[in-house]
Amino acid sequence: MNNIMSVIFASDNETKLNDLTLHRTTASLPFCGRYRFIDFTLSNLVNSGITRIGIMTRSNYSSLMDHIRMGRDWDLNRKNSGIAVFPPYASNTSRNFKGKIEALYGILDYMEWAQEDYIVLTNSNVAVNLDFDDVYARHMETGADITMLTYRAKPKDSRRLLVETDKNGKVIDSRITQMSDDRVCQIGLNIYLLRKDLCMRLVADCYEHGGVDWEKNVIQQKGDQLHICAYEVPGHAAIIDDIQSYFTESMRILDPQVRNDLFYRFGKVYTKVKDSMPTIYRAGAQVRNSLIADGCTINGCVENSILFRGVTVEEGAVIRDSIVMENGTICKNCQLSYVITDKDVTITDNKTISGFGTYPLVIAKNKTI
Amino acid sequence: MYSNNKECVAMLLAGGQGTRLYSLTRDLAKPAVSFGGKYRIIDFPLSNCINSGIDTIGVLTQYKPFDLNQYIGNGQPWDLDRLSGGVFVLPPYMRSEGSEWYKGTANAIYQNIEFVDKFSPQYVLVLSGDHIYKMDYAQMLDYHKQKGADCTIAVIDVTKEEASRFGIMNTNPDDSVYEFEEKPKHPKSTNASMGIYIFTWEKLRKYLIADEADKSSSNDFGKNIIPNMLKDGQKLFAYRFAGYWKDVGTIASLWEANMDLLNERSGLNLSDSGWKIYCRSMAEPPHYVGYDATIENSIVTEGCEINGTVRNSVVSSGVKIGKGAVVEDCTLLPNARIEAGAQVRYAIVGNNAVIGKNATVGGAQDAPVQGEWQIAVVGPGASVADGQVVPIKAMVD
Repeated sequence: MNNIMSVIFASDNETKLNDLTLHRTTASLPFCGRYRFIDFTLSNLVNSGITRIGIMTRSNYSSLMDHIRMGRDWDLNRKNSGIAVFPPYASNTSRNFKGKIEALYGILDYMEWAQEDYIVLTNSNVAVNLDFDDVYARHMETGADITMLTYRAKPKDSRRLLVETDKNGKVIDSRITQMSDDRVCQIGLNIYLLRKDLCMRLVADCYEHGGVDWEKNVIQQKGDQLHICAYEVPGHAAIIDDIQSYFTESMRILDPQVRNDLFYRFGKVYTKVKDSMPTIYRAGAQVRNSLIADGCTINGCVENSILFRGVTVEEGAVIRDSIVMENGTICKNCQLSYVITDKDVTITDNKTISGFGTYPLVIAKNKTI
Repeated sequence: MYSNNKECVAMLLAGGQGTRLYSLTRDLAKPAVSFGGKYRIIDFPLSNCINSGIDTIGVLTQYKPFDLNQYIGNGQPWDLDRLSGGVFVLPPYMRSEGSEWYKGTANAIYQNIEFVDKFSPQYVLVLSGDHIYKMDYAQMLDYHKQKGADCTIAVIDVTKEEASRFGIMNTNPDDSVYEFEEKPKHPKSTNASMGIYIFTWEKLRKYLIADEADKSSSNDFGKNIIPNMLKDGQKLFAYRFAGYWKDVGTIASLWEANMDLLNERSGLNLSDSGWKIYCRSMAEPPHYVGYDATIENSIVTEGCEINGTVRNSVVSSGVKIGKGAVVEDCTLLPNARIEAGAQVRYAIVGNNAVIGKNATVGGAQDAPVQGEWQIAVVGPGASVADGQVVPIKAMVD
């Protein structure tokens, strides 16, 4: 299906990811052993035949550029369509954009020039494997102005868009809240499908009236004038916007059902190829309930954990309930529990480091302990 | 930089049927056979080329080429998608005066003289697609130039017993070759030809044309071209190579080469970031190791789900191993499935093959019999029924 283009917002809610987004956008945050967040969104789009993709960045975007390059790993190095990365100040506005509306206002030309009639707007901190063909079919069926993707979960203390729908899926109320709730609610995934010309009209109108926030100024304030329908995604979905949700959602991948949903439900997930060799298990390896990427050398104990590419676990080291990102080295007799080590971290011999299930400890990129 | 002239063009002989790999090459050419978890055999010569700065490669295919063609594609995984040069798949083709299959290794190059001429190279590197090794061809080319050779043949030192299985180069003290013996009963030296040649193209071109005119020739490098060049007093030199090299043309040697990846002292190290072996990515997620799994001294790669015991084995992408299954001293090829309780030892399990619940395949061994391990083979796509017993060295298609 080639009548849809997409714009991905690479930066959102970064402050709550603290150390993990010091050097990168949320979109390029490493996830599930070998991926960056944006891989899931890019793969969903490509698997649905959507190949004209603009990526809006706001800051710290060099790691994202390095990851995406020309888009070849997602089959997006095309003559027609393909990837366009918009760094800050790309348009004639004199300041860095504040919200999605302002970001889109800066690329109205790009949207106008594209030949597609529909547009998918999406955040990049979403872990989901879905088929936009199906979303499009529903959009046509309901005759909605905007179809917004939702999932069901208990809201935590991060900014969430909660929606109420009638029996036809029409959104009748939407609230933006930061309060946690014990009840399962229908929550917006910050992914929208709509006609491109409508999108451009809404963006121009809102921006010219001083609005910058898509959720607030369009979904809420124009909710009465627009027919907005919810599309509840089948299968697993999650929004990651703080350390706790990063840790919890990472660990859920150890559940076979979640793994199957996220990695295979609709299509494969593509990422930058690193040509690491397969992982080597030495005589001292004891690995249980863990997700292990290629290029690791394991000679210690790993339980309920995720190892990214190129991690070394030396003899006698014990890693439990932890996430070790790319090229981490956990030396002899170290003990890690509830720890997230960023890329290129080395933990030297005999260290014991632990966080707690509800407060995992993050060790910043390039550190040696 | 973007001149179409290349100093050296590589010609990779990839047309072999590989009959001694039996069912593993039933549907694909030998160079396309999986190796080391995520690689194919052809990844080694292709990666060696690009790492040596050779960016123009003709791949000569003939037997069951589809898998290999698809795998090579535009050469992107090896950085061989180039504006000038790159990788070219060269099957036999029709010409005005009739057409024929590649009759031998030399004839395959002969039929592609026009292809080589397009790049006006001074040298041609001839490679085969059935060896596992890492080698810097640039060093060999330097040696070829320094010696002013017409042909340089890479050789590796083998034992006296092994020498009878190889083509042996007998050399003078300056490493010039005075005699070539194919599989000699009483070898005079232990310099085994590795099937890697560098020729000065102008010379080789003449010999290929002369060889083609000789109706009694079997059009083979080892049998015809090299002996003819020697007879005419051309300058042939042996280039001594001292790293890991293995011909993986048989079931036992393919299995052994896989096992060498598990041995830190074998000399076969694929984790060297200065000499990466590239391959086409399967876009599989990281592998998952379950609660009841034990993995020791093994290699496991993307897309696997391991719930049983794995020891001394190479587990390729997408392999599933059920609870209570035991896999020891095995090479499992991509997407093989070992069901719960199955016991698999000293075996190669082909792509997409299924070993049923509580089945037994192969068996433990203390030592090779007459120099060869007794490896059971379950062919690609084959199934072993629940509880079935497949004895040592048996083959299931």
